[in-house]
Amino acid sequence: MSTGVAEPEKSQALPERPKELAMHFDSLHQQYNAGKLGVWLFLGQELLFFCGLFTAYAVYRGNHQEMFHYAHYFLDWKLGGLNTVVLLTSSLTAAWSVRAAQLEQRKTLIATLVITFLCAAAFMVVKYIEYSHKIHIGAVWSSHFAVADADLPAALTERYPDIKGEDLQRMGMGTFFAIYFCMTGLHGIHVLVGMGLYIWLIIRAVRGDFNRKYYGAVDFVALYWHIVDIIWIFLFPLLYLIG
Amino acid sequence: MTEATADHAHHDHHDEALPGTIGHVSHWQTLVKVLVTLLALTVITVLVAQVDLGRLNVVGAIGIACVKASIVAMWFMHLRYDKRFNFWILVGSIAFVAWMVGYILFDSALYQDNIREYREAHPLPTRPATPSGDH
Repeated sequence: MSTGVAEPEKSQALPERPKELAMHFDSLHQQYNAGKLGVWLFLGQELLFFCGLFTAYAVYRGNHQEMFHYAHYFLDWKLGGLNTVVLLTSSLTAAWSVRAAQLEQRKTLIATLVITFLCAAAFMVVKYIEYSHKIHIGAVWSSHFAVADADLPAALTERYPDIKGEDLQRMGMGTFFAIYFCMTGLHGIHVLVGMGLYIWLIIRAVRGDFNRKYYGAVDFVALYWHIVDIIWIFLFPLLYLIG
Repeated sequence: MTEATADHAHHDHHDEALPGTIGHVSHWQTLVKVLVTLLALTVITVLVAQVDLGRLNVVGAIGIACVKASIVAMWFMHLRYDKRFNFWILVGSIAFVAWMVGYILFDSALYQDNIREYREAHPLPTRPATPSGDH
């Protein structure tokens, strides 16, 4: 060249980087570990987030045993149990989707992601059945709680033939249902968010985005999904089973 | 850390892992065994709740739930094979959860008498309920 400026030597050119590697990371491995650390910090925060509601539950249960005893007759443990089985199964398929992504089994990956999504949808359908029945009979939050004697659960009136709907109002049953709807509602919102994330993953998996060194999104959404499962593992016995 | 040394740190790979795979690959049999264990523990929780053990019912339900949650965290969430730091994030979070629940539970017990007195003086209002068949 006439300017006399030396051309950059070939050896100084940047090494070729995988297209999935963000500019601020050295390697895909570092990128994966950083992402995972971030997700774990988020999940730790999620536990604290739910902890507020578990505290409300513990305080009311600790001080109003009788309210929780009568309340558990309103919840159908069969529906709650069904949802437990559905969520545990979806946790298996979520864990399996991570394995499929690592092994680059694209068909298995898509299948497990779709099954996880369908289980989440089934969970919400059962939730809808439960919620609509409670709202229908008036078993709702705080001062809105008003259940007619004819609508009291059969198991409750069988055990306590003299109980009236107004007794439950005076007992403060509305507070139990405020806690119930807040806990299961916040959990349900997490399930809905998870469903959205799984749609996103299905689109990316179909597009072929993931491989053995780049599957962080599948892993991290699965971690989130497992935490949603763990929260339900506590909600089911605490709300539905023990009276 | 170069990729070569980073991968070398993961010597716990199953044979089926593809060369250069990041992270631990769970065997599908392990995953199925974990699910079967969780389902079995769910059945046990339901059965235990049918028996009236008084206060022990709560302890039993929370105890089994803790076992189930630990199994999910260790196997499904890979904590068994993960960096220890992620494990301690979880443990730290649980410690704060226990602290908050425990502290507020003890604290709230101290003023229950005041609440009871107030409630006796000011009973909760009741309102008529509409039977669901009338809607």
